[in-house]
Amino acid sequence: MEPAVASGIQEPFDLIRLSLSERVFVKLRGDRELSGILHAYDGHMNLILSDVEETVMIVDTESNQTINYAKRKWEMLFVRGDGVILVSPPSRS
Amino acid sequence: MASQILPLELIDRCIGSKIWVVMKNDREFSGTLLGFDDFVNMVLEDVIEYETTPEGKKETKLAQTLLNGNNICMLIPGSTGPGE
Amino acid sequence: MDDFPPQPTEQSPPPPPPNQTGSPTDFLKNVVGKKVIVRLLSGVDYRGILSCLDGYMNIALEQTEEHVNGVVTNKYGDAFIRGNNVLYISAAEPL
Repeated sequence: MEPAVASGIQEPFDLIRLSLSERVFVKLRGDRELSGILHAYDGHMNLILSDVEETVMIVDTESNQTINYAKRKWEMLFVRGDGVILVSPPSRS
Repeated sequence: MASQILPLELIDRCIGSKIWVVMKNDREFSGTLLGFDDFVNMVLEDVIEYETTPEGKKETKLAQTLLNGNNICMLIPGSTGPGE
Repeated sequence: MDDFPPQPTEQSPPPPPPNQTGSPTDFLKNVVGKKVIVRLLSGVDYRGILSCLDGYMNIALEQTEEHVNGVVTNKYGDAFIRGNNVLYISAAEPL
């Protein structure tokens, strides 16, 4: 099957492979977001990130609105794959 | 032994007709069943999604849709959903 | 004689017309490269062009918009969505 789109990736993990050594955005369960340099990943989507900025959203349970957020930084981080919702690589355009 | 029909055989007989899908959470779907696989991932057409929210029931119309089997709780053959 | 298409043998019935069986695999073959709505169990929607996906329903989307309660909350050039979060994939343009 030929790739349907110009980028030519064959499977979703190609997107992650092409992002190694690049800064990626990661959305996690529990209203957390990360931005860091991707060093390693596996089939579970376990990740090793460095130079990470973590953003924790403080969400109002009633309205589901983000009312505040807290940021902190990590030098090196292991992320367990089952918490990952979305990974967005840097723009390839 | 009495003649048996496998659960998925029943679902197979529903292909082409309306089916009502109740999820493990507060979500339901109705639509025409086009097909399914061993995981009971389902392809539906002319779908209505019913969502129970604090603000009340919300309906969303969808075209051809692949529904992940992972969170399906019950299937009701021939039914067009809670509006019936 | 060479111009005739091969006739189906007696043993094998003619295959069903392609993309007509309606199975999840066929749906996915048809929908790759098209605009889709991916809804997660959390209720968040991702609208974009389906690049590809695998057996775990891991999904790669292009030109992705994140919608929360009908409001665009983020945009991504590319996005990898881990399959365990996916509720459904719905066609957002005619197949």
